[in-house]
Parts: sequence; structure tokens; C-alpha cells
Amino acid sequence: MFERFTIEARGAVVRAVEIAQETQSDSVGDLQLLAAICERTDGPAVEALRSVGIDPAALARAATDADAAGLDSEALAAIGIDLDAVSAQADKTFGKGALARAGARMRRGKHRPFAREGKKILELSLRELIRLGQHRIDSGHLLLAILRMAHGDAYRVLVNSLTEAGSSVAALRSALESPAEGKAAS
Amino acid sequence: MADITGADPDLGLRAVRSLHLLADRLEALQVNRARELGWSWQDIAERLSVSRQAVHKKYGTTTLTRRP
Repeated sequence: MFERFTIEARGAVVRAVEIAQETQSDSVGDLQLLAAICERTDGPAVEALRSVGIDPAALARAATDADAAGLDSEALAAIGIDLDAVSAQADKTFGKGALARAGARMRRGKHRPFAREGKKILELSLRELIRLGQHRIDSGHLLLAILRMAHGDAYRVLVNSLTEAGSSVAALRSALESPAEGKAAS
Repeated sequence: MADITGADPDLGLRAVRSLHLLADRLEALQVNRARELGWSWQDIAERLSVSRQAVHKKYGTTTLTRRP
């Protein structure tokens, strides 16, 4: 399957593996892939993101933060728990990044290079490629795949970012599916 | 407006999942710290309302609580 990936998309996947190692995640999931895609300086994915008003570097940080914590700050806020406050307090008592560290230790075990979500994105990107009648998987197809995973953590981070930018999933999808129009609209 | 008692099970269930994770992590961090400060397994177990054997089994052999 990787022979169908562009060099740019391969670079993003390789970077996602590095991010997983750096953040002590046990494997590559959707958040690591999103962060890796957004860290790139050019390519279809970051161009589409910019065209809908998202700063890819900021989104990469949001994805990495969400992954490091592994906790759903939005859902916790809905029941009155301020995860940032808990996290800051934990940092103070146990050292910086304590919650993420504790999470990484608890998730240890059999090493899998790709989590279920990570694999799913790679599969879905191939499906997006076929659906669009194209031949090579680039970062745009990876991002379209993330948009198909409506229950994923990365999808949630991405939607938050789109909402803040005053944009929508539909706008990003159309920018990804027809890059020229996306550019024209920006 | 979504809240845990409201009509949005998605948000409520995600909150519950995160609470479980958060509690597990805080427990690991607190147990680790208590051990570093010289607390006995018995003292820790009492605070957590579990048996000494249970808390030792859970944390006794992990690198998180191993003493240097």
C-alpha cells in the first residue's frame, strides 16, 4: 500500500511514528498522524487548512497536547472539571507532564507500531484516493481520512480548530477535494 | 447546551471515560509519591479503601513506584 504514497505523505507517516516515540505514546494513532500532517510546511493538507483559515502549526500543537494528555478536556469541562487546572496542579506536585507520563506508563505493554485508529486512517486514505479517482495518496487524502473518523480524537481536535476559525468540515473537505477552488476562494 | 445530565450521551460518556483515566493516573502518581515519602503499602491501601495486597500487586512491581 505504501507504494501508492507520495514522498510527502510518507514523510508525514514517518514523522507520526517519531511523534509517537517522543510523546511516549505506545503507537501511532489519529492524533499523531494529524500532528505530523500539520507540521509540514507545504503540501495539499496544509494548503487546504490555510485556505479555511487554520494555522497548521497551531493545529499540530493542539493535536500533540490532546495526545499527551490522552484526556478529553471538552467532555471534562462539561461536568465542571478544568483539565488545565488539574494538569497544572499535577505538574506542580509530581513534575512537568506528570499526567501524560502516568498515562504512558499505564498504556505500556505489547508494542504495536500502529494503533487501530492509525491503521484505519491509512485504509481510509486509500478509499478516499479511489473515490476521487486519483493515483497517489498525499497528505490531503490522509486529512480526508481523518474527517471520516467522526468518533476519533483527531476529528474532534480538527473540528474545534475549524469552529474557532469560523469554518466547517464541509469547507475543509471541499478545499481538499478541489484544491484549485479552495485556493481561489481564499 | 450539552451537559452530563443533558441529552448528549456522547459528551457524557466521554467525560466518564476521561474521569476513569484521570483517576487511574492520579492514583498512580499519588501512590508513587507516597512510597517515595516512605509510606507503607498498608497506609496507602487504607486511604484507597483497598487491601494492602491489592495496592501492592497493582503498583509494587512497576517502574513508576520502584524505589531508586
